[in-house]
Amino acid sequence: MPASLFEHVLVPVASPEDAAATIRATRPYLEAIRSNVTVINVVEKAGGAPDKASVEQREDYAEEMFNVARSQMEGSDITLTTEVRYGTDVAETIIETAHEIGASAIVFTPRDGSRWVRLLTGDVALSLVSDSDLPVITLPDHD
Amino acid sequence: MTDQELARDLGFLEAYTIGLGTMIGAGIFVLPSIAAEQAGPASMISFFAGGLVSLLAAISLSELATGMPQAGGSYYYVNRALGPFFGSIVGWGMWAGLTFASAFYMIGFGQYLLPGLGQYIGFLAGWGEIGITVAALVMAALLTGVNYYGVKETGALQNVIVLTLVGLIVAFLGLGTLSGPTIGTFLPPEGWPAVAATIGTVYVTFIGFEVIATSAEEIKNPSRNLPLAMIAAVVTPTLMYVGVMFVSTGTLSIEALARSRIPVADVATEIMGPIGALAMIVGAVLATVSSANASILSAARVNFAMGRDKILINWLNEVHDRFRTPYRAISATGIITLVLIAIGVGIGTLAEVASFMYLVTYALVHIAVIVLRRADPEAYDPSFRIPSVLYPIVPILGFVACIAILLQMSFIVQAIGGVIVIFGILWYFVYARDRALSQSLLGEAIAPEPTAVADGRGQYRVVVPVANPETEQDLLRMAAASAHAHESEVAEVIAVNIIEVPQQTSLAQDITFEEARVERQQELLESARDFADALDVGLRTRAIVGRNAGSAILDVIEEEDADHVLLGWKGTRSRREHVLGSTIDPVIGHAPCDATLVKLGPEGGAEVGEIMVLAGEGPHAPVAARRATEFAKAAREDTSLTLLNVQQPGENEDGASPQKQGQAIIENLVETAGIEGMQYDSRVEIAEDIERTILTAASEYDTICVGATRSGAVSQALFGSLPETIGEQSDRTVVMARGPEESAMSVRDAIVQRLES
Repeated sequence: MPASLFEHVLVPVASPEDAAATIRATRPYLEAIRSNVTVINVVEKAGGAPDKASVEQREDYAEEMFNVARSQMEGSDITLTTEVRYGTDVAETIIETAHEIGASAIVFTPRDGSRWVRLLTGDVALSLVSDSDLPVITLPDHD
Repeated sequence: MTDQELARDLGFLEAYTIGLGTMIGAGIFVLPSIAAEQAGPASMISFFAGGLVSLLAAISLSELATGMPQAGGSYYYVNRALGPFFGSIVGWGMWAGLTFASAFYMIGFGQYLLPGLGQYIGFLAGWGEIGITVAALVMAALLTGVNYYGVKETGALQNVIVLTLVGLIVAFLGLGTLSGPTIGTFLPPEGWPAVAATIGTVYVTFIGFEVIATSAEEIKNPSRNLPLAMIAAVVTPTLMYVGVMFVSTGTLSIEALARSRIPVADVATEIMGPIGALAMIVGAVLATVSSANASILSAARVNFAMGRDKILINWLNEVHDRFRTPYRAISATGIITLVLIAIGVGIGTLAEVASFMYLVTYALVHIAVIVLRRADPEAYDPSFRIPSVLYPIVPILGFVACIAILLQMSFIVQAIGGVIVIFGILWYFVYARDRALSQSLLGEAIAPEPTAVADGRGQYRVVVPVANPETEQDLLRMAAASAHAHESEVAEVIAVNIIEVPQQTSLAQDITFEEARVERQQELLESARDFADALDVGLRTRAIVGRNAGSAILDVIEEEDADHVLLGWKGTRSRREHVLGSTIDPVIGHAPCDATLVKLGPEGGAEVGEIMVLAGEGPHAPVAARRATEFAKAAREDTSLTLLNVQQPGENEDGASPQKQGQAIIENLVETAGIEGMQYDSRVEIAEDIERTILTAASEYDTICVGATRSGAVSQALFGSLPETIGEQSDRTVVMARGPEESAMSVRDAIVQRLES
């Protein structure tokens, strides 16, 4: 058993708004025990078909998210590690990364969205919760 | 880096099928009717010639795409080589070409869906022209929606579609040839000019391989796969098209073909019966949709690349926060496509305008290859080069061929195409000229001269960690000098200050102390901004709180993709755990870019003054010489530049005098550093004790620039013992420089060894 679920958390983010919300919600837990935190964004690949947007464009977008995440952490003594990952299955890539970096848990805040939107974009949250063999923590977004 | 490799998930087969999927697409199902009407059986030659012209373009594009594997395809290369004027023309041209092509595919879709499937499904029949337009509009709207919402398409689906299409066409060709097609009069009544004119019409079908170049950033092992995929994606459909025309014109009369809305299916009825025709109709529906889909996605890539170069408003390229798609660019493309379908330009004209735009593009692509070869910028190092037997024949022939086809296209097409080109030119003058980041290399190509080339995006970034208000201004001045030497309007300096918090303390423990430090950080960065205004250089500041200043600086260097990091040094070696300092060691040791360490002289180095470069044979002496010239160029008052070489007495094996040897080393250095244009004095000293002599000579100058030595000394020090001794002992401003090629590994080894000793 790890000492704390928040010892080294992996925070997957999907958009700048998501990054702000998740880091805002996670920060108190991190500061309580001075956790290590790795923020990742997964660039979804089509795996053989043309991607829905240029990889470079989405890398720029990831950088935008990381900047938001960093500014949410401003004034804290916790240093964020950021990383861009690529994969055809977003949830699977997140779980793989968590194992690779030895994370104690995966932390995210759920994004609202209708059933219809989830059907179209794929429900990453659901796959994370059902497929992960590491603890998955969902935190409420208080904003 | 491995991350970069992971982003590349297209192998040869995937790249080939993407290209093939777009190329087979609509063209093969719709064009036979139009081509047969214009040129009869001789249209086979039109298709073949179109294939040859595309092959030339594919060869030139391969070199460009492997040299600059970036999103944006032809637009990107032309903009990089010929500047934003032509970049604007090609960017808008490609975008317009792709929307015209999408509209063409969609009307083709409508023709096969309604009159085609209508033969089998009563409800689809009898809707006439309006029905076709409505079907095309609905499908175009649907595709726009699919790409807006980013519905995931998988590689597997793509492969199934392409394989189905290839299978259908091979069956069509096989059965068609067996049924014994008979070609009547080969040449059309209008003769060869009609055959030539038809090349322009059918060229639309060959724009598909551009999609491969647009995806260059995603292709694995691009030096091999990219050229192969492009050439294969041109050759395969060319042969198929020629075959399809042979079977079609041999089976049906020209009049029947010309009248047909669904030419391939009508031919299939003759040779394979109704089932065959139905299969061809289903294939055509799939093909038109897949072609249009690829075109819409490519158009958004072109928009993105234009926005990145500031030729287009970046507003258009915003990524949707939920769907992660460039939804505005997709919508814009979709809307224009809908308008083009609705106004009823006519399917032939749509195809020809798309061809026109791409012929203009490829003509400029051929020029771009020649310009880049001649200008030979540092960043351009294609892994596939046009073989020397074919260069410059391929680009010249390709250019001439594109222009020739353009010139014999119909007036209305030339007029529409001309309007789009003029729009691109006006756009350049009204919007892009003052904003665009890139510069034309045309001048370079005509009179090549070495230039400072920054990273792939043309942004040269200098990172300057600042900590001491007394040295801050001088460090920023030196960083600005380096930035100014690299196309001042796109270079920027990034001032960084790090508040280091040791592992054992937390912010909460000593809040007042921390507040004082945060305030000091803000003051430092504030004054950095003031200095930057005075120095006329773009500056950004980064305030960072971290555990370790060294690794925080390295993070900044990586995040900013910096080209140069410039640090200050107190001039005293650190206690035994470190070589030069706990922050300096990791940064100098691991920075993947140019690294400069500055020890300021007694006057604070306020003025650069007389500069001396130590012209040794060390691997980084040219970097030191370049730094020296940057400082000299930026200095406002009189400066001088001296290159010093010290030789031990006695002739070498070749019998050259030490004086001559020293002179030769200096001249060689000037050449490798590319600073021939600078005024400089050479000075050769002959003495037994080299170190002593250098130190004595150093006292005559204000600033000493010395490159890292990579001799045995590397195990003792970061820059080598000689540079560090000078830095420690001289009371002048000492600049130690190294280039990026210093292997991080060997330096790390050096530190490890040092720590262990």
